Amino acid sequence: MENNDTRKEVLTVKDLSISFDTTSGTVRAIRGVNLTLCKGETLAIVGESGSGKSVTVKAVIGILDKNGHVNSGSIAFTYQHANGETVTTDLLSMPKKTMRRHINGKRIAMIFQDPMTSLDPTMTIGAQIMEGMRWHYKTPKAEAYRRAIELLELAGIEDAEKRMKNYPHQLSGGMRQRVVIASALACDPEILICDEPTTALDVTIQAKILELIRIIQKNTGISVIYITHDLGVVAKVADYVAVMYAGKIVEKGTADEIFFDPRHPYTWGLLSAMPDLDTADSRLYTIPGTPPNLLNPVPGDAFSPRNRYALKIDDRAEPPMFRISATHYAATWLLDERAPKVEMPEELKARIVRMQEAWTPKQKEAAE
Amino acid sequence: METKKEAEPLLEIKGLKQYFKISRGYTVRAVDGVSFRIYPGETYGLVGESGSGKSTIGRSVIRLYTPTEGQIKFHGADISGSLDSKASSLLHTEIQMIFQDPMACLNPRKRVQDIIAQGLDIHHLYKDRAERSQKVAEMLEKVGLAPEHAERYPHQFSGGQRQRVGIARALIMQPKLIIADECVSALDVSIQAQVVNLMKDLQQETGCAYLFIAHDLSMVKYISDRIGVLHLGHLVETGTTEEIFQHPVHPYTRSLLSAIPHPNPRTERTRAAEEYDYKSAGVNYHAGTEHFLEGTHTVLATDEELRRWLASPPLSL
Repeated sequence: MENNDTRKEVLTVKDLSISFDTTSGTVRAIRGVNLTLCKGETLAIVGESGSGKSVTVKAVIGILDKNGHVNSGSIAFTYQHANGETVTTDLLSMPKKTMRRHINGKRIAMIFQDPMTSLDPTMTIGAQIMEGMRWHYKTPKAEAYRRAIELLELAGIEDAEKRMKNYPHQLSGGMRQRVVIASALACDPEILICDEPTTALDVTIQAKILELIRIIQKNTGISVIYITHDLGVVAKVADYVAVMYAGKIVEKGTADEIFFDPRHPYTWGLLSAMPDLDTADSRLYTIPGTPPNLLNPVPGDAFSPRNRYALKIDDRAEPPMFRISATHYAATWLLDERAPKVEMPEELKARIVRMQEAWTPKQKEAAE
Repeated sequence: METKKEAEPLLEIKGLKQYFKISRGYTVRAVDGVSFRIYPGETYGLVGESGSGKSTIGRSVIRLYTPTEGQIKFHGADISGSLDSKASSLLHTEIQMIFQDPMACLNPRKRVQDIIAQGLDIHHLYKDRAERSQKVAEMLEKVGLAPEHAERYPHQFSGGQRQRVGIARALIMQPKLIIADECVSALDVSIQAQVVNLMKDLQQETGCAYLFIAHDLSMVKYISDRIGVLHLGHLVETGTTEEIFQHPVHPYTRSLLSAIPHPNPRTERTRAAEEYDYKSAGVNYHAGTEHFLEGTHTVLATDEELRRWLASPPLSL
């Protein structure tokens, strides 16, 4: 992560723009998204529901709803072909059939929010984990069976062999999500996309699942995209963070940059709105209002109606991505050199200082 | 706190048991002997993992279930056995509930004004139509919606607004106790803060008490005066928010607290959560009795367990 030269790009999303036809009009759900994911790294996409984070990854894996259209952009995916050479393809121009045959599940796997709906209730979990291997690699049944047991053990399920014959309803929520993880990893994918993998689970199980994904990532070197609205989860897992609002990325950077040096007022709001365990204030900070309706064209900065630091220009022109450091970018006019100097809210500043102080020298040592 | 303790409890639950008989040989003991009190105007937070029985308690209190055993006293009146008409009308007006999923709990075929006024309709709490719509309009304003929203249908609102309608429906009966069952967990982070702030403001204004059921501990910490930690149908630890968060004693509470992810990328990456497994920890909830520590802090434990837990090092959060 420290050495930028050795970072190998696995997935590059460029200028992606997606709209949906609905009965009430065209919804411009994604309005120009740029993202890069490098090998072995974890990218977290944060945002409210409706900000377009799920739609972005659905486009990556080619499962957009039927009424969705990609208006522009490209998604370049780099992978090792079976014969050893490195191939880069545009996933958007790939026919759906090829996508299903060569990409989905095999090279890019996805974990969905609700483990009950992503497992087939009529199949044993063993059969579901073996399915991918049997289909993509034509693995002999006995070998696939052995591998499935290994995967279940890797996912932290005890008595894996006995569990192979269980059906999803016989397992608890946390166990089901472990099965989903095992089946996602069955074909050794290059990218694992986790769409709110722990939202439906309890905190204690959440901690275990996140830890599990991290260990697997360490051992196999896969790249992971997390979609979440929980900043605590982001802090735990992410190397890089992208904050989305109304179909655009408003700020991106390393986890340290986003948490300790946020620049966009929306990121300030998100960080302040989260009750941390040290907050003693009697009121939580709130971002007023609700996200804009993307049915209507959004003039200027989409966040400006909810932004108490909004400038006049925010209503007229969309801010470009301002560069803060090699990895840190934010789209807000506040960063323009002509803009008045605006500091983040005092409470947030105090919280960041508190967070930095919480980093004991011992932990610092361990991290290094 | 001190004055509240001397005051008469608004809700007193003693040894509540709620069993569900699934088949002849199998009974789920969802709630297995839980006792706690809620005082007027305070917020009592119930936390625990799914299946710990926290929602069941809420539903037993408002009598969506008939309790198997135990006593629920509201304002000194027993509301756990069979209800006479007086007790039942007390129960249905003075206790209200806010549900988790704001879309599922509002009738999609009714206008918002009819949803909010349904309680008034049933209990004949207005003289004429004008008074009814005036009451609805006042309530909408109180929860941060506009009076003209009364004519709309639930699907025309966003999630946060729908939850406001749910709160308005509960508040219009001027209840003494509101049971909020995971009422913000379906909402977005920024909207959660709005709704929780609203609930706090309304509590100051109306003086109602909340039974706040949630699994998000940081939110529970923020809103609650006192907290009860549930596990497998047993109330393992209860106390004021400070007592629970500063000096957690029960290993389950400790594992819950340490599992909360902190929004701090530096410390979070190396921090490991404390683990707790009921089977391997060798704790027997049935053998435990309530041990009083200090203030309002009590722990479910046997003498030996308590000694061991008190000796363990304090939790670093």
